[in-house]
Amino acid sequence: MSGPPGRSGRTPSMAARLGRAGVRDVARTERLLADAALTAVVPADADLPGLLGEVADPDLAALGLVKVADAVRPGPARTALVAALADPGPAAARLLAVLGASTELGNFVATHPNALLAVLDDEPATGVDAGAVRAELLGVVGADPAADVPVAEPGGPAGVDAMRVAYRTRLVRIAAADLVAEDPAQTMPQVAAALADLAAAALEASLALARAEMDDHGAGVRLAVIGMGKCGGRELNYVSDVDVVYVAEPCEGTPEDEAMVVGARLATSLARACSSVSGEPALWPVDAALRPEGKDGPLVRTLASHRTYYERWARTWEFQALLKARPLAGDAGLGAAYVEMTQPFVWSAVTREHFVEDSQAMRRRVEEHLPRAQADRQIKLGVGGLRDVEFTVQLLQLVHGRADETIRSGNTLTALAALASVGYVGRDHAAQLDQHYRFLRVMEHRLQLARLQRTHVLPTAEADLERLARSMGMRGADVLTERWRSTQRDVRHLHEEMFYRPLLPATAQLSTDEARLAPDAAKARLAAIGYRDPAGAVRHIAALTEGLSRRAAIQRQLLPVMLGWFADGADPDAGLLAFRRLSDTLGSTHWYLKLLRDSGNAAQNLSSVLSTSRYVADVLTRSPKSVMWLGDDAELEPRPHQVLWAEAEAILDRTEEPVAAAVALRALRRREMARAACAQVLAQVTEDRVAASVTTATDVVLAGGVRIARHQARHSLGLDQDPAQFAVVAMGRLGGQEMGYSSDADVMYVYDPVASADAAVAQEWAVQVAVMLRALLVDTAAEPPLELDTDLRPEGRNGPLVRSLAAFEEYYERWSSVWEAQALLRARPVAGDQDLGERFMALADPVRYPTGGLALADVREIRRIKARVEAERLPRGVDPARHVKLGRGGLSDVEWTAQLYQLCHAHEVVALRTTSTTGALDAAAEAGLLESDDVQVLRAAWELAMRVRDANVLWSGRTDPAHTNQLPHDRRTLVGVARAMGYGPGGGAALEEEYLRSARRSRAVVERVFYG
Amino acid sequence: MDRQQDYVLRTVEERNIRSLRLWFTDVLGVLKSVAIAPAELESAFTEGIGFDGSAIEGLTRVYEADMIAHPDPSTFQLLPWRGEKQVTARMFCDLFTPDGEPSAADSRQVLRRALARASEQGFTYYTHPEVEFYLFQTPVDPTNLIPVDCGGYFDHVVRSAGQDFRREAITMLEDMGISVEFSHHEAGPGQNEIDLRYADALTTADNLMSFRTIVKEVALEQGVFASFMPKPLSDHPGSGMHTHVSLFEGDSNAFYEPGAPLELSQVGRSFIAGLLRHAAEITAVTNQFVNSYKRLWSGAEAPSYICWGHNNRSALVRVPMYSPGKGQSTRVEYRALDSAVNPYLAFAVILAAGLQGVKNGYELPEGAEDDVWELTDAERRAMGIDPLPTSLDAAISVMQSSELVAETLGEHVFDFFLRNKRKEWADYRTQITAYELSRFVPSL
Repeated sequence: MSGPPGRSGRTPSMAARLGRAGVRDVARTERLLADAALTAVVPADADLPGLLGEVADPDLAALGLVKVADAVRPGPARTALVAALADPGPAAARLLAVLGASTELGNFVATHPNALLAVLDDEPATGVDAGAVRAELLGVVGADPAADVPVAEPGGPAGVDAMRVAYRTRLVRIAAADLVAEDPAQTMPQVAAALADLAAAALEASLALARAEMDDHGAGVRLAVIGMGKCGGRELNYVSDVDVVYVAEPCEGTPEDEAMVVGARLATSLARACSSVSGEPALWPVDAALRPEGKDGPLVRTLASHRTYYERWARTWEFQALLKARPLAGDAGLGAAYVEMTQPFVWSAVTREHFVEDSQAMRRRVEEHLPRAQADRQIKLGVGGLRDVEFTVQLLQLVHGRADETIRSGNTLTALAALASVGYVGRDHAAQLDQHYRFLRVMEHRLQLARLQRTHVLPTAEADLERLARSMGMRGADVLTERWRSTQRDVRHLHEEMFYRPLLPATAQLSTDEARLAPDAAKARLAAIGYRDPAGAVRHIAALTEGLSRRAAIQRQLLPVMLGWFADGADPDAGLLAFRRLSDTLGSTHWYLKLLRDSGNAAQNLSSVLSTSRYVADVLTRSPKSVMWLGDDAELEPRPHQVLWAEAEAILDRTEEPVAAAVALRALRRREMARAACAQVLAQVTEDRVAASVTTATDVVLAGGVRIARHQARHSLGLDQDPAQFAVVAMGRLGGQEMGYSSDADVMYVYDPVASADAAVAQEWAVQVAVMLRALLVDTAAEPPLELDTDLRPEGRNGPLVRSLAAFEEYYERWSSVWEAQALLRARPVAGDQDLGERFMALADPVRYPTGGLALADVREIRRIKARVEAERLPRGVDPARHVKLGRGGLSDVEWTAQLYQLCHAHEVVALRTTSTTGALDAAAEAGLLESDDVQVLRAAWELAMRVRDANVLWSGRTDPAHTNQLPHDRRTLVGVARAMGYGPGGGAALEEEYLRSARRSRAVVERVFYG
Repeated sequence: MDRQQDYVLRTVEERNIRSLRLWFTDVLGVLKSVAIAPAELESAFTEGIGFDGSAIEGLTRVYEADMIAHPDPSTFQLLPWRGEKQVTARMFCDLFTPDGEPSAADSRQVLRRALARASEQGFTYYTHPEVEFYLFQTPVDPTNLIPVDCGGYFDHVVRSAGQDFRREAITMLEDMGISVEFSHHEAGPGQNEIDLRYADALTTADNLMSFRTIVKEVALEQGVFASFMPKPLSDHPGSGMHTHVSLFEGDSNAFYEPGAPLELSQVGRSFIAGLLRHAAEITAVTNQFVNSYKRLWSGAEAPSYICWGHNNRSALVRVPMYSPGKGQSTRVEYRALDSAVNPYLAFAVILAAGLQGVKNGYELPEGAEDDVWELTDAERRAMGIDPLPTSLDAAISVMQSSELVAETLGEHVFDFFLRNKRKEWADYRTQITAYELSRFVPSL
């Protein structure tokens, strides 16, 4: 093949021209263009390659053109085709654009060549009066557009096919105009409106066909088809389900139930006309799933029945859907009445029960940070996709539409513009979101046109992406992909900007361009996302953002998104308040503002801990520098003992004054507890790490405190040297390294006079050390005390506060009772002279690990004491099932069980010689003393109880036993505690059930293996 | 839902209903009733009716006395015995906490939860109970009960109070939309049986609550006294509530498999295996009173041993005779229940036990052909046939280590139930019975 004779030398070959036009299979296309059918209608010198260069898929367009040329018979269509191709202008461009963008529309034109006229004539495709379109489609089924109730004549399958052809013909017209538009994003709204009007006309014609099928044309019933979703919003795309709701009323003289039966038949038959198999392809599914009760509800209802449903049962999302309701077809008066009836519901939805939860769920969906798997290519439902834009707009409409009628449009872009013009969102932001929405819609339209398929997923093949890019006037798949990515990012970001930024008060606005909400509107928005005291929140926001300081400037940037993060926590109001306090304290500290502004996650971590944990909020307010940790995960790691001890030594070295030194030590402990708490709330550490952190800090404080106290005692007795060795023995949870935020330190004191010392002086000195240690660590000071509990010493409260090693030795030889042996199990030297500590443990070992185990009488005694403790120690009026320490299956049950096995078997099983409860349980399982299943149950219950205990402190900030030791009763507290433990929103009931179950199982094991 | 509500509101108006009873059931299966005026109905639907639940057995924890009852409009019925002048209707309620969570203590919610779990596995659950009860002459002297007649099994007793009674009771049941399958005179004097038609388990449980009320009402009208006590007369059979159960997958009976032995599918076989394996654990629920064990261990046809059989009237689980061509009616009869049961809890644990078998593919042991009562202890042991718990005490101790029952009832109901039953047993043990007095006073 070659070009026209005589030209080949001067112009590039046909092949080269086709190649330049983007044709992939040049040889095939060249053959196609020379097809006899085509040459019959195209002048020899027509610049087909030039035309092909403009379309999405030139190969496809060439093939389509041949098919059309082959199919068209002499007549007006053929005349128009010849004319258009003779002197290629806009008409030819439209035709090739359609053929190159859509296989399916190409096939349609080839099988219905008369549709060519719709592409080639100069009639407008968009901006056409909806009434005219309706009349056109009613006309083709032989119905009278002017009739109150149009009925098709004759109807039947032929009518259905005629309606479908007319629909497609107009669809081709719209697509043709759309595809050659200078700026498709600009004309997108008109295209979407034209598609919605066309769909409405098709529904009207289908209803006329449905009526024609009935003997009396369904005369007893008035039926209105209400559009929901995109069709309702008059922003339809090329192919999607058309969402509808049917409302019906009996005509006079027809009983209601009969009318409903007829109405349902009409609706069913109408949907069939649109979507069932017939001679012509189906249009789209008619989806009535948004009706009351969804798929389980009756297909049609009366107005009153709809009203009853919406009054009582509907959920937030249903009102969100109703926001777009618009009469599409059928009885216009009834349709209007329906919309009028539903509007008040839509605009008062914000006041209904569950709105906050529902809207939070909607909001979280848009704000989720992790892109969901596979969602990456989803234009509609993916991250930053169409649904996100629509949700953002609709949520704002629901929140503010109650007070403001001007923002109630069902059309996304109209509503967005209205929100901006009234100042609910920033103009710039609205304009950007508008552009993104248009881009996404054009992309969706082009995708759907290709095969007229309901698809929202970006293709993966390079060639497909390339074609899509070309159809949108972009050169290259890369350009398209890049634009899609940036749109995704921006939509998310804009949501935050639009939703939260306008909450800043007018005084905090940097430019007049930004939106600012009136106080009532701000309160409505805050209440909608879960703030319980919106008025208070408004005040805090104002205080945080007003003024010219650098702090205010940075907080103006940060606060909007933080408001959303607070709302994700269990107590948004408390989070915001704590943040304000913190900011007041830190003022314009340089690092603080820099941290919040620059650190990737500091601000979010801060929001999260402040709105989840009152305990952390308190400690952060007390030592604001701790906020620094939130920007650095390494800072949240527990500090090892030697690091803390080095710090304590430095404190002791540099601080002369004893009380000041002790206060500094207490501050160190508080800080480490705060670190553990932050890490725990942010789920960075496990429970045993928390216990280890708190214990380590306590160890260090005790060691330092003893050093100061010895010095003081020596000083007050006028001694040059210590007259004795002195050691603190840790007992209980401290000994077991299982401390929580609220644990006391159980201790015993032992001393041993040095050879040269007078025994009485040594004793007096040792008592002084103990008394001074308490004074230093417990007595009032700015820093929280470390409560010392010495009740576990021999003879309890009646025994001497300190004993010499010799006295201990004598006591244990002569008097020791089994509960003292039990208490010694968790003994561990923690402070003072290491050598003495070791000698004490050598003394304790034979007591706590008695050779041959326990005598039966002792086992009985332990069981008896435990039973009595259960009966007596539990506070009055407390449900035993909910007391995590003393209740059934709680901490004490598990610990006594572990300790009984230690007492009986530690003499032979060395691994049982541990101060750790879980360590002892594991050792017992390892040695085959306990079933490993039982140990699993006990461990699980013990760990959960520890977590509840700590979470009680984290949530409430209170450390008194009445609060820490019970699974909360109050539902709100329970939910908060559950959140602090990492349960999702509303996890209170789940936590309750899990704890009760775990404790019940644990108790069953305890009854078996402890009580025997 | 709203259609049903509309219907209820309309009916209340049209029928000039004067009073509405909101019914719910405490943890022990006792019917509770709150009366409201028709004017309150609409808000009862939208917001529920708040009440103080602290006085009701097992309903609330002491610290959250407030409960919200939401009437279920699909259970709306006129109460026929209230007559045409004082037209009264009832609805069953679901109970919620003030925060809108389903109440952990509501029996009906326990069954709903169990049904929801079954439905996650694609099953719906149908039950069909055969309720036995006694009619005694009034005034009733609990120490000397006199039955209204001396008839026996299927006896036609001429001009008997029982016959009139059954006719009247059935009419009333049918008036309330509760279909009756069958009724006849039972084996004991004054003992009657009425079988309800099969329905989904929640409806059946609701129907049983109505049934017991209706039977009591009709008895009152006819001057006799009806009792659902499991074993009122030591020399005559107790009042059981044999219950036929079946699972459906969509429209087809999941127990039915044509050509299989007894036409019983693998699901059916595993279901029975589950029932048998967990039978002892659920007995405290299916037989909840000290008196229940007097029936369970009275010999004769009482289902005291854990085994199954085909048409074996001594087995705990029976697979009734299959009628050719009636695949949909394949079912399993669980015979332990007595008429004083809390049907919500009992249906829930039976379902859970059976589904446990289905889920874990339990193997069905061999069926028992013999009358297990005729076997010696050693023979039963050799055949692997264990007894059911012999007393409430024994039943409690098996139940308290049952994860299955705890999971099904929920921790709250589980805990309450056990505490309540332990107390009942403790109270019972302190009694000096007439038997002891007559036996020991003369001789010791």
